[in-house]
Amino acid sequence: MDCREFQENHLAFVDDTLPGVELVRMQMHITECESCSRQDATIRRSLMLFRNLPVIQPSAGFSERLEKKLLDARMADASVMHSGRARKLAVTVAVTSVAMLGYIAVSLRQVDYPKDITFPPVVATAPQSGSSITGPAPEMVVAVPAGLPIWTAALYAEQTAVHFASVDLTTTAR
Amino acid sequence: MANIARKQAVKPQGANVREQLRAADDSAVVTAFLGGEERAFSELVERYQTRLLNFIYRTIGDREKAEDLVQEVFIRVYRHLHRFDRSKKFSTWVYTIASNLAKNELRNRSRNPLVLFQAVQKNWQDDDRPLQFEDATSRPDDMYRKRHLRQIVEESVAKLPEHHRNVFILRELEGKSYEEIAEITDCNLGTVKSRLNRARNSFAEIVAPYMD
Repeated sequence: MDCREFQENHLAFVDDTLPGVELVRMQMHITECESCSRQDATIRRSLMLFRNLPVIQPSAGFSERLEKKLLDARMADASVMHSGRARKLAVTVAVTSVAMLGYIAVSLRQVDYPKDITFPPVVATAPQSGSSITGPAPEMVVAVPAGLPIWTAALYAEQTAVHFASVDLTTTAR
Repeated sequence: MANIARKQAVKPQGANVREQLRAADDSAVVTAFLGGEERAFSELVERYQTRLLNFIYRTIGDREKAEDLVQEVFIRVYRHLHRFDRSKKFSTWVYTIASNLAKNELRNRSRNPLVLFQAVQKNWQDDDRPLQFEDATSRPDDMYRKRHLRQIVEESVAKLPEHHRNVFILRELEGKSYEEIAEITDCNLGTVKSRLNRARNSFAEIVAPYMD
Protein backbone atom coordinates (compact mmCIF):
# COMPACT_ATOMS: atom_id res chain seq x y z
CA MET A 1 0.00 0.00 0.00
CA ASP A 2 1.27 3.46 -0.84
CA CYS A 3 0.59 6.73 1.03
CA ARG A 4 -2.01 7.86 -1.52
CA GLU A 5 -4.11 4.74 -1.02
CA PHE A 6 -3.68 5.15 2.73
CA GLN A 7 -5.07 8.71 2.53
CA GLU A 8 -8.00 7.57 0.44
CA ASN A 9 -8.96 4.86 2.91
CA HIS A 10 -8.22 6.87 6.03
CA LEU A 11 -11.82 8.02 6.58
CA ALA A 12 -13.10 4.46 6.71
CA PHE A 13 -10.03 3.42 8.70
CA VAL A 14 -10.79 5.90 11.49
CA ASP A 15 -14.49 4.98 11.42
CA ASP A 16 -13.73 1.24 11.53
CA THR A 17 -15.72 0.50 8.42
CA LEU A 18 -12.94 -1.09 6.38
CA PRO A 19 -13.10 -4.78 5.48
CA GLY A 20 -10.68 -6.95 7.47
CA VAL A 21 -8.07 -7.34 4.75
CA GLU A 22 -7.93 -3.60 4.06
CA LEU A 23 -7.72 -2.89 7.76
CA VAL A 24 -4.68 -5.10 8.12
CA ARG A 25 -3.02 -3.45 5.11
CA MET A 26 -3.63 0.00 6.61
CA GLN A 27 -2.17 -1.09 9.93
CA MET A 28 0.85 -2.52 8.13
CA HIS A 29 1.36 0.77 6.31
CA ILE A 30 1.35 2.72 9.58
CA THR A 31 4.12 0.58 10.95
CA GLU A 32 6.15 1.20 7.81
CA CYS A 33 5.46 4.88 7.04
CA GLU A 34 6.31 7.40 9.72
CA SER A 35 4.61 10.33 7.95
CA CYS A 36 1.26 8.51 7.61
CA SER A 37 1.56 7.20 11.13
CA ARG A 38 2.03 10.75 12.46
CA GLN A 39 -0.89 12.05 10.46
CA ASP A 40 -3.13 9.22 11.66
CA ALA A 41 -2.20 9.94 15.28
CA THR A 42 -2.79 13.68 14.89
CA ILE A 43 -6.22 13.18 13.38
CA ARG A 44 -7.26 10.68 16.04
CA ARG A 45 -6.05 12.90 18.88
CA SER A 46 -7.73 16.01 17.49
CA LEU A 47 -11.00 14.12 17.06
CA MET A 48 -10.75 12.89 20.62
CA LEU A 49 -10.35 16.49 21.81
CA PHE A 50 -13.37 17.57 19.83
CA ARG A 51 -15.54 14.69 21.04
CA ASN A 52 -14.64 15.54 24.62
CA LEU A 53 -15.77 19.14 24.44
CA PRO A 54 -18.16 19.92 27.29
CA VAL A 55 -21.80 19.14 26.60
CA ILE A 56 -23.90 22.28 26.87
CA GLN A 57 -27.16 22.03 28.75
CA PRO A 58 -30.22 24.16 28.00
CA SER A 59 -30.55 27.19 30.29
CA ALA A 60 -32.91 27.20 33.28
CA GLY A 61 -35.82 28.96 31.58
CA PHE A 62 -35.61 26.93 28.38
CA SER A 63 -38.63 24.70 29.04
CA GLU A 64 -40.86 27.56 30.19
CA ARG A 65 -39.98 29.64 27.15
CA LEU A 66 -40.62 26.70 24.85
CA GLU A 67 -43.95 25.98 26.56
CA LYS A 68 -45.00 29.60 26.05
CA LYS A 69 -43.95 29.57 22.41
CA LEU A 70 -45.83 26.32 21.83
CA LEU A 71 -48.94 27.82 23.42
CA ASP A 72 -48.64 30.85 21.13
CA ALA A 73 -48.19 28.53 18.17
CA ARG A 74 -51.29 26.54 19.15
CA MET A 75 -53.36 29.71 19.45
CA ALA A 76 -52.06 31.06 16.17
CA ASP A 77 -52.86 27.77 14.47
CA ALA A 78 -56.35 27.78 15.97
CA SER A 79 -57.07 31.30 14.72
CA VAL A 80 -55.66 30.47 11.32
CA MET A 81 -57.88 27.39 11.23
CA HIS A 82 -60.91 29.50 12.22
CA SER A 83 -60.26 32.14 9.57
CA GLY A 84 -59.42 29.35 7.19
CA ARG A 85 -62.86 27.82 7.73
CA ALA A 86 -64.58 31.16 7.12
CA ARG A 87 -62.48 31.64 4.00
CA LYS A 88 -63.29 28.12 2.88
CA LEU A 89 -67.02 28.80 3.31
CA ALA A 90 -66.77 32.04 1.34
CA VAL A 91 -64.83 30.30 -1.40
CA THR A 92 -67.37 27.46 -1.48
CA VAL A 93 -70.26 29.91 -1.84
CA ALA A 94 -68.43 31.83 -4.57
CA VAL A 95 -67.52 28.68 -6.45
CA THR A 96 -71.07 27.33 -6.20
CA SER A 97 -72.49 30.63 -7.48
CA VAL A 98 -70.10 30.71 -10.39
CA ALA A 99 -70.89 27.08 -11.18
CA MET A 100 -74.62 27.76 -11.12
CA LEU A 101 -74.25 30.81 -13.35
CA GLY A 102 -72.11 28.79 -15.70
CA TYR A 103 -74.67 26.00 -15.76
CA ILE A 104 -77.45 28.46 -16.55
CA ALA A 105 -75.38 30.06 -19.29
CA VAL A 106 -74.56 26.70 -20.83
CA SER A 107 -78.22 25.59 -20.61
CA LEU A 108 -79.36 28.73 -22.37
CA ARG A 109 -76.83 28.24 -25.12
CA GLN A 110 -78.05 24.74 -25.71
CA VAL A 111 -81.66 25.87 -26.58
CA ASP A 112 -82.12 25.38 -30.38
CA TYR A 113 -82.76 28.88 -31.62
CA PRO A 114 -83.09 29.41 -35.42
CA LYS A 115 -79.99 31.08 -36.67
CA ASP A 116 -81.88 33.47 -39.16
CA ILE A 117 -85.25 34.82 -38.29
CA THR A 118 -87.58 34.25 -41.24
CA PHE A 119 -90.68 36.35 -41.53
CA PRO A 120 -93.81 35.32 -43.48
CA PRO A 121 -93.94 36.72 -47.00
CA VAL A 122 -95.48 40.12 -47.34
CA VAL A 123 -98.85 39.96 -49.08
CA ALA A 124 -100.09 43.34 -50.30
CA THR A 125 -103.31 44.02 -52.19
CA ALA A 126 -103.96 47.08 -54.26
CA PRO A 127 -106.98 49.15 -53.17
CA GLN A 128 -110.04 48.95 -55.37
CA SER A 129 -110.13 51.90 -57.74
CA GLY A 130 -113.95 52.48 -57.48
CA SER A 131 -114.07 52.77 -53.74
CA SER A 132 -111.40 55.34 -53.39
CA ILE A 133 -111.80 57.73 -50.57
CA THR A 134 -112.32 61.11 -51.95
CA GLY A 135 -111.54 64.01 -49.81
CA PRO A 136 -113.47 67.22 -49.91
CA ALA A 137 -112.72 69.78 -52.47
CA PRO A 138 -109.91 72.09 -51.45
CA GLU A 139 -112.06 75.18 -51.62
CA MET A 140 -114.53 73.55 -49.19
CA VAL A 141 -111.83 72.75 -46.73
CA VAL A 142 -110.64 76.30 -46.84
CA ALA A 143 -114.22 77.49 -46.31
CA VAL A 144 -114.59 75.79 -42.94
CA PRO A 145 -114.19 78.27 -40.11
CA ALA A 146 -111.02 78.14 -38.17
CA GLY A 147 -110.97 76.58 -34.70
CA LEU A 148 -111.80 73.04 -35.76
CA PRO A 149 -109.24 70.39 -36.44
CA ILE A 150 -108.66 70.14 -40.12
CA TRP A 151 -109.80 66.52 -40.60
CA THR A 152 -112.97 66.99 -38.54
CA ALA A 153 -113.68 69.95 -40.68
CA ALA A 154 -113.07 67.89 -43.75
CA LEU A 155 -115.61 65.31 -42.57
CA TYR A 156 -118.20 67.97 -41.95
CA ALA A 157 -117.54 69.47 -45.31
CA GLU A 158 -118.01 66.10 -46.98
CA GLN A 159 -121.48 65.77 -45.48
CA THR A 160 -122.67 69.23 -46.63
CA ALA A 161 -124.54 69.68 -49.88
CA VAL A 162 -122.35 70.39 -52.80
CA HIS A 163 -122.63 73.92 -53.92
CA PHE A 164 -120.79 75.16 -56.92
CA ALA A 165 -119.97 78.81 -57.12
CA SER A 166 -120.07 78.68 -60.87
CA VAL A 167 -123.83 78.05 -60.69
CA ASP A 168 -124.27 81.22 -58.69
CA LEU A 169 -122.23 83.08 -61.20
CA THR A 170 -124.24 81.90 -64.12
CA THR A 171 -127.51 82.72 -62.31
CA THR A 172 -126.37 86.24 -61.60
CA ALA A 173 -125.29 86.69 -65.17
CA ARG A 174 -128.74 85.88 -66.40
CA MET B 1 -41.30 -5.68 19.34
CA ALA B 2 -41.62 -2.21 17.86
CA ASN B 3 -45.25 -2.91 17.06
CA ILE B 4 -45.94 -3.86 20.66
CA ALA B 5 -44.27 -0.67 21.86
CA ARG B 6 -46.23 1.34 19.34
CA LYS B 7 -49.54 -0.15 20.41
CA GLN B 8 -48.69 0.58 24.00
CA ALA B 9 -47.73 4.13 23.16
CA VAL B 10 -50.77 4.96 21.06
CA LYS B 11 -53.24 4.76 23.93
CA PRO B 12 -51.21 4.96 27.10
CA GLN B 13 -53.34 5.03 30.25
CA GLY B 14 -52.67 5.29 33.94
CA ALA B 15 -49.87 6.82 35.96
CA ASN B 16 -47.01 5.18 34.13
CA VAL B 17 -47.63 6.97 30.83
CA ARG B 18 -44.34 8.78 31.08
CA GLU B 19 -42.45 5.57 31.76
CA GLN B 20 -44.09 3.94 28.77
CA LEU B 21 -43.19 6.87 26.57
CA ARG B 22 -39.66 6.91 27.91
CA ALA B 23 -39.26 3.23 27.06
CA ALA B 24 -40.74 3.59 23.58
CA ASP B 25 -38.68 4.33 20.48
CA ASP B 26 -39.01 7.64 18.60
CA SER B 27 -41.44 6.20 16.11
CA ALA B 28 -43.79 5.02 18.86
CA VAL B 29 -43.59 8.37 20.66
CA VAL B 30 -44.43 10.18 17.43
CA THR B 31 -47.37 7.84 16.87
CA ALA B 32 -48.57 8.50 20.42
CA PHE B 33 -48.39 12.24 19.88
CA LEU B 34 -50.30 12.02 16.63
CA GLY B 35 -52.83 9.86 18.44
CA GLY B 36 -53.55 12.77 20.78
CA GLU B 37 -51.10 12.12 23.64
CA GLU B 38 -49.69 15.61 24.28
CA ARG B 39 -47.17 14.30 26.81
CA ALA B 40 -45.41 12.48 23.98
CA PHE B 41 -44.20 15.81 22.68
CA SER B 42 -42.52 16.58 26.01
CA GLU B 43 -40.76 13.26 25.69
CA LEU B 44 -39.44 14.22 22.25
CA VAL B 45 -38.25 17.58 23.62
CA GLU B 46 -36.56 15.81 26.51
CA ARG B 47 -34.75 13.46 24.13
CA TYR B 48 -33.53 16.01 21.64
CA GLN B 49 -33.12 19.38 23.34
CA THR B 50 -29.53 18.88 24.54
CA ARG B 51 -28.36 17.14 21.39
CA LEU B 52 -29.85 19.80 19.14
CA LEU B 53 -28.52 22.59 21.32
CA ASN B 54 -24.98 21.25 21.09
CA PHE B 55 -25.27 20.62 17.37
CA ILE B 56 -26.54 24.14 16.64
CA TYR B 57 -24.19 25.80 19.11
CA ARG B 58 -21.15 24.10 17.59
CA THR B 59 -22.37 25.12 14.14
CA ILE B 60 -23.14 28.79 14.78
CA GLY B 61 -21.03 29.52 17.90
CA ASP B 62 -23.65 31.60 19.71
CA ARG B 63 -25.30 29.95 22.68
CA GLU B 64 -28.31 32.26 23.10
CA LYS B 65 -29.13 32.12 19.44
CA ALA B 66 -28.64 28.36 19.51
CA GLU B 67 -31.31 28.06 22.23
CA ASP B 68 -33.69 30.19 20.18
CA LEU B 69 -33.11 28.00 17.16
CA VAL B 70 -33.66 24.79 19.13
CA GLN B 71 -37.00 26.21 20.26
CA GLU B 72 -37.81 27.04 16.67
CA VAL B 73 -37.01 23.45 15.71
CA PHE B 74 -39.49 22.14 18.27
CA ILE B 75 -42.18 24.57 17.20
CA ARG B 76 -41.76 23.40 13.61
CA VAL B 77 -41.84 19.79 14.71
CA TYR B 78 -45.02 20.46 16.69
CA ARG B 79 -46.72 22.13 13.76
CA HIS B 80 -45.65 19.78 11.02
CA LEU B 81 -45.34 16.40 12.69
CA HIS B 82 -48.50 15.21 10.92
CA ARG B 83 -46.63 15.70 7.62
CA PHE B 84 -43.59 13.71 8.72
CA ASP B 85 -43.04 10.59 6.64
CA ARG B 86 -43.04 7.91 9.31
CA SER B 87 -41.23 5.45 7.10
CA LYS B 88 -38.12 7.58 7.78
CA LYS B 89 -36.14 8.20 10.95
CA PHE B 90 -37.51 10.93 13.17
CA SER B 91 -34.03 11.99 14.30
CA THR B 92 -32.94 12.56 10.70
CA TRP B 93 -35.96 14.78 10.13
CA VAL B 94 -35.31 16.80 13.29
CA TYR B 95 -31.64 17.26 12.44
CA THR B 96 -32.55 18.33 8.92
CA ILE B 97 -34.73 21.10 10.34
CA ALA B 98 -31.98 22.11 12.79
CA SER B 99 -29.31 22.03 10.11
CA ASN B 100 -31.38 24.25 7.80
CA LEU B 101 -32.08 26.75 10.55
CA ALA B 102 -28.40 26.90 11.48
CA LYS B 103 -27.47 27.36 7.84
CA ASN B 104 -29.98 30.21 7.49
CA GLU B 105 -28.60 31.84 10.62
CA LEU B 106 -25.07 31.75 9.23
CA ARG B 107 -26.28 33.10 5.91
CA ASN B 108 -28.11 35.98 7.61
CA ARG B 109 -25.04 36.72 9.67
CA SER B 110 -22.78 36.86 6.66
CA ARG B 111 -25.13 39.51 5.24
CA ASN B 112 -24.88 41.51 8.47
CA PRO B 113 -21.26 41.98 9.62
CA LEU B 114 -22.36 43.63 12.87
CA VAL B 115 -24.20 40.48 13.96
CA LEU B 116 -21.17 38.40 13.02
CA PHE B 117 -18.91 40.57 15.14
CA GLN B 118 -21.26 40.45 18.13
CA ALA B 119 -21.57 36.69 17.86
CA VAL B 120 -17.82 36.20 17.70
CA GLN B 121 -17.34 38.55 20.63
CA LYS B 122 -19.94 36.63 22.63
CA ASN B 123 -18.23 33.38 21.80
CA TRP B 124 -14.87 34.73 22.99
CA GLN B 125 -16.26 36.16 26.21
CA ASP B 126 -18.38 33.16 27.03
CA ASP B 127 -16.47 31.76 30.00
CA ASP B 128 -19.35 30.81 32.23
CA ARG B 129 -19.87 27.32 30.84
CA PRO B 130 -19.02 24.27 32.91
CA LEU B 131 -15.44 23.17 32.38
CA GLN B 132 -15.67 19.46 31.91
CA PHE B 133 -12.08 19.37 30.76
CA GLU B 134 -11.16 20.24 34.33
CA ASP B 135 -11.34 18.37 37.56
CA ALA B 136 -10.89 19.54 41.15
CA THR B 137 -7.61 17.75 41.61
CA SER B 138 -5.91 19.48 38.67
CA ARG B 139 -3.15 21.99 39.31
CA PRO B 140 -3.97 25.63 38.35
CA ASP B 141 -1.55 25.67 35.42
CA ASP B 142 -3.03 22.38 34.20
CA MET B 143 -6.50 23.85 34.44
CA TYR B 144 -5.40 26.90 32.51
CA ARG B 145 -3.82 24.76 29.82
CA LYS B 146 -6.98 22.67 29.44
CA ARG B 147 -9.20 25.71 29.35
CA HIS B 148 -6.97 27.23 26.71
CA LEU B 149 -6.97 24.00 24.71
CA ARG B 150 -10.75 23.84 24.82
CA GLN B 151 -10.91 27.36 23.48
CA ILE B 152 -8.49 26.43 20.72
CA VAL B 153 -10.61 23.42 19.77
CA GLU B 154 -13.77 25.51 19.64
CA GLU B 155 -12.08 28.15 17.54
CA SER B 156 -10.65 25.53 15.22
CA VAL B 157 -14.12 24.11 14.54
CA ALA B 158 -15.38 27.61 13.85
CA LYS B 159 -12.58 28.07 11.31
CA LEU B 160 -13.80 25.19 9.14
CA PRO B 161 -15.86 26.13 6.08
CA GLU B 162 -19.57 25.97 6.87
CA HIS B 163 -20.39 22.90 4.76
CA HIS B 164 -17.37 21.03 6.16
CA ARG B 165 -18.21 22.04 9.72
CA ASN B 166 -21.79 20.87 9.41
CA VAL B 167 -20.76 17.40 8.25
CA PHE B 168 -17.93 17.25 10.80
CA ILE B 169 -20.23 18.05 13.75
CA LEU B 170 -22.93 15.64 12.61
CA ARG B 171 -20.38 12.85 12.40
CA GLU B 172 -18.02 13.52 15.28
CA LEU B 173 -20.38 15.03 17.82
CA GLU B 174 -23.73 13.48 16.95
CA GLY B 175 -22.40 10.18 15.68
CA LYS B 176 -24.58 10.17 12.57
CA SER B 177 -23.94 7.66 9.82
CA TYR B 178 -22.74 8.83 6.40
CA GLU B 179 -26.17 8.01 4.97
CA GLU B 180 -27.98 10.04 7.59
CA ILE B 181 -25.63 12.98 7.06
CA ALA B 182 -26.27 12.77 3.34
CA GLU B 183 -30.00 12.96 3.99
CA ILE B 184 -29.73 15.77 6.53
CA THR B 185 -27.44 17.92 4.40
CA ASP B 186 -29.11 16.95 1.12
CA CYS B 187 -25.82 15.81 -0.42
CA ASN B 188 -24.77 12.55 -1.99
CA LEU B 189 -22.74 10.00 -0.09
CA GLY B 190 -19.51 10.75 -1.96
CA THR B 191 -19.74 14.45 -1.13
CA VAL B 192 -20.31 13.66 2.54
CA LYS B 193 -17.24 11.41 2.68
CA SER B 194 -15.09 13.89 0.83
CA ARG B 195 -16.18 16.81 3.05
CA LEU B 196 -15.69 14.79 6.20
CA ASN B 197 -12.21 13.70 5.15
CA ARG B 198 -11.20 17.28 4.37
CA ALA B 199 -12.77 18.59 7.56
CA ARG B 200 -10.87 16.05 9.66
CA ASN B 201 -7.57 16.88 7.99
CA SER B 202 -8.11 20.66 8.26
CA PHE B 203 -9.18 20.42 11.88
CA ALA B 204 -6.17 18.26 12.80
CA GLU B 205 -3.90 20.69 10.99
CA ILE B 206 -5.26 23.68 12.95
CA VAL B 207 -5.20 21.94 16.33
CA ALA B 208 -1.91 20.07 15.94
CA PRO B 209 0.47 22.89 17.05
CA TYR B 210 -1.42 23.18 20.37
CA MET B 211 -1.53 19.47 21.17
CA ASP B 212 2.12 18.91 22.02
